[in-house]
Amino acid sequence: MRQPTLKLLAATAACLTMTACTGTTGSSESGESGDPQKIKWLIEEQEDAEALKALEEHVATFTEESGIEVEISTLPFDTMRTILQTQLRSGDGPDVFSWGSGPSFGGALAEAGLLHDLTDAYEENDWEVYDFAKERVTFDGKVYGVPGEMETIGVFYNKDLFSELGLDEPTSRDDLVAASEEIKKAGTIPMAVADKEGWEGGHLLSMALASDIGSDEMDAIIEGESSWDSPEVADAFGLWKEFDEKGFLPESPTSVDYDTSISMFYSGEAAMIPTGSWLVGEIDDNVDFEVGYVPFPGPDGEGIFTGGLGSGPFVSAGTTKTEAAVEFVDFLASTEHAEWTVENLHTIPPVPIDTEGLDVSPLFATVLEDTATLGQSGDFGHNIDVMVTDQVNEAMYDGFQGVLTGQNTPEEAAAGMAAAAEE
Amino acid sequence: MSAPSAAAPVAVPPPEPRRERRRGSGRSRGRSKAPSYGYQVPGPTRKAQRRLGIVFVAPLLALVAVFLLFPMGNALYYVFVDFNGINPAPPFVGLANFREMFGDPDVYKALRNNVIWILVGTTAPIALGLGLALLVWNVRRGGVLYRTAIFLPVILPQVAVGIVWGWIYEPSRGWLNKVLDAVGLDAVTTGWLGNPDTALYAVLGTAVWSTMGFIFVILLSALRNVDLDLIDASLLDGADWWQRLRHIILPQIMPVFLMVTTVTLIGGFGVFDIVFVMTGGGPAGASEVLGTYAYSNAFELNRISYGTTLALLMTVLAVPFAVWLNRLQQRLADGAGT
Repeated sequence: MRQPTLKLLAATAACLTMTACTGTTGSSESGESGDPQKIKWLIEEQEDAEALKALEEHVATFTEESGIEVEISTLPFDTMRTILQTQLRSGDGPDVFSWGSGPSFGGALAEAGLLHDLTDAYEENDWEVYDFAKERVTFDGKVYGVPGEMETIGVFYNKDLFSELGLDEPTSRDDLVAASEEIKKAGTIPMAVADKEGWEGGHLLSMALASDIGSDEMDAIIEGESSWDSPEVADAFGLWKEFDEKGFLPESPTSVDYDTSISMFYSGEAAMIPTGSWLVGEIDDNVDFEVGYVPFPGPDGEGIFTGGLGSGPFVSAGTTKTEAAVEFVDFLASTEHAEWTVENLHTIPPVPIDTEGLDVSPLFATVLEDTATLGQSGDFGHNIDVMVTDQVNEAMYDGFQGVLTGQNTPEEAAAGMAAAAEE
Repeated sequence: MSAPSAAAPVAVPPPEPRRERRRGSGRSRGRSKAPSYGYQVPGPTRKAQRRLGIVFVAPLLALVAVFLLFPMGNALYYVFVDFNGINPAPPFVGLANFREMFGDPDVYKALRNNVIWILVGTTAPIALGLGLALLVWNVRRGGVLYRTAIFLPVILPQVAVGIVWGWIYEPSRGWLNKVLDAVGLDAVTTGWLGNPDTALYAVLGTAVWSTMGFIFVILLSALRNVDLDLIDASLLDGADWWQRLRHIILPQIMPVFLMVTTVTLIGGFGVFDIVFVMTGGGPAGASEVLGTYAYSNAFELNRISYGTTLALLMTVLAVPFAVWLNRLQQRLADGAGT
C-alpha cells in the first residue's frame, strides 16, 4: 500500500503546487529600502517598442529637472491584472503604476487599502481633469488616482469607399442598415466585427445600448437602479445577432480576433469598424484612405459616443517614497505631459486640450474635439466593462458570444448579466 | 528481455548469521573488513551516519518543503476559505467551495469536455503515433527525415502552435477553409474556433498534431527492441499484420505503450495551455475544460479559493488513473522479467 500512497501524495502535491502559487499574503510595505530619489513605475505594455522608447526619453526630461530617477517596467495588461495585487502586498511592487479607474479596478485596490490617498495632492498641485473623470477615481470620498487618458467607442468608416458607393455618413440606425446593405452588395464586409476574445462583445453591447437608451438610463442600470434584465439590454444584444444574420459582419465573428478585424478594415476588406479611439494612431499609420469617426447610430438619430477612461497613475499605499512618487504623478498630470501624449502616443488626455499648434492628423483632431465636448457635457454612454464587476463582465462576454453562436437568446444573456450583478 | 536468465540456475549465497547482522552497522561494516592490513578499520558510528544522511538529504528536503509541502498546505488552506486575492484574512467557509463546485453546471460542462479530450486526445495520438512508428520502423532511406518531420511539432511552444493553428482555422483567411473550398467541400467550411460545435474538436486536432510526434518517437524506440525472430517466425506461420501487431509486437512494447498512454491521459485531465491560447474556453464556454475554468475563476474573477478547489478536483480525478496505469505497467514489466 505504500507505493500508491506516495504516488498519490506526489501527484496531489504537483497539482496543488500549481494552484498554491496563486496568491500570497505579505506585508503591505513596498520600497522600504533603496534610494528615495529612485522610484519604480509600472505601465501596460506599449503597442510598439518605439512608443516605449519615446516614453523613456520623455520621462528622462523629468529626471533631469527633478533628480528623481524613474525605473519603467511594462507588463501585458492581463498579466498586470493577475499579479499587481500580489506585488503591492509583497512589498516589492511599483511605487507608481498605471491602472484602470472604476470600481472593478482602482476601486478594488482602494478597498483593499493598497492605494495612497491623493486628495491632498490634488489640492496642492491643482491637477485639472474633467469632473466625471475625477469621480471615477474617487472612492469613499477620497481621490486615489489621476485619470490618464480618455477613450471613446464609436464607428470608424472608410470615407473613400462610402463616396465611391454614393453613401453618406451614417447618422441614424436606418442609415447604418441601408449603408450596410449597399456595402454588402458591393462585395465588401460592412462591419469588421470580432468577438473571439470576448471583450469586444462588451464594447459592442456598450455602444448599442448607449445609443439606444441614452446616458441617463445607462447610468441607472450600471448603478443598480435598473436591472440588466430588461428588454432594452436584450434588444442591444439582439441587434448584433440581427446584423450577423443579415450578413453585415464577417463570417463567424466569434472566430475572428480583434487584430484580424482591424486588418480587415485597413485592407479595405471591411468598410467600417466599431471600436475605440485608441485605434486612431494606428489608422493614421496604416491606411491610405480617408477615415471618418461617428458615434454608433441610434434608432432615432445620431446616437452618442460611448466613453471611458483608460489607465492612469496611482500611487502604492506601501511606498516609502511618497514624496517622489507624488512629484512624478504631478509631472504625469501636467498639461505639458498631456500635449506630449497627444502628439506622441495619440492618446486623449482627460483635460481640455487646445489642438491648435499640435502636430496631429485631421482624424485625431476630430476625435480630440469630440472627446472634449463629451468631457465637458458628460453626455456619453459608458464602456460597461470598466464600470461593473468581473462577474458581470464574464456574463456579458459569454452572453454576447452565446447570442452570436445561438447558444443563448438575447433575453437569456441579459438575465445572465442581472444574475451576475446580484451575486 | 531477461526471461532466459531467469530460467538459468543462480547461485544463492547462504544467509548471513542473524547475530552478525544485528551486531554490525549494515553491509558497509561487513565490507569494511580489510584483512590485508591485519586490523579492522573502524566504521562510522550510527550517529555519524545519521548526521551524514541528514546533511545529504537536507537540501532536497528544503526544496520539497518550500516547493511542494508548503504550496500543498497553502492550497489546502485556500479551499476552506474564500480568498479573493486581496483580503489578507479570508473568511473560513468550510466546505462551501466544494458544495458550490458540485452544484455548478459549468463544472459538469467542463468535465464533459475533459472526458472528450481524454478519450480523443489519448486514443488519436497513440493510434497515429503507433501507426507512423510502424511505418517508419524499417525505413532505411530517409528515416531521419521522417523522424525529424514527425517530431518537429513537439519542440514547438504550445503558444506558438496555438497561434499558428488559429490562423489556419480562421474562417475567411485561414487555409483550411480555402482548401475545403477548393476541393468542393465548401458546405463544411465554418469558423472552426468560433463555432460551439467544432471549437473543442478543432483545438483537439491541433493538440493531436502536436503530441503525436512524442508518442511516435517513444514507440519507435520501443519497436527497435522487438525480437525480429519472432516476427519472422510468425510470418512463416502465416500470421497477418493485425495478428503480428496484436500478438507479437504490442506485448513486447506494452510497458512503453502504457507509459505513453499514462502520460497522455494524465495530460488530458490537466489540459490548459492550448485551449487557453486558441479559444480561451469559448465561444461562451463551449470549449471550456477544467483547467481553463479553474484559471478563469482564480485569475479573471479573482476567486482564488474556488479555482483551487477546481484544481483539486482535477487532481483527484487524475490520480487514480495514473496509479492504476502505473501499477499495470509495473505488473507487465514484472511479468516480462520472470
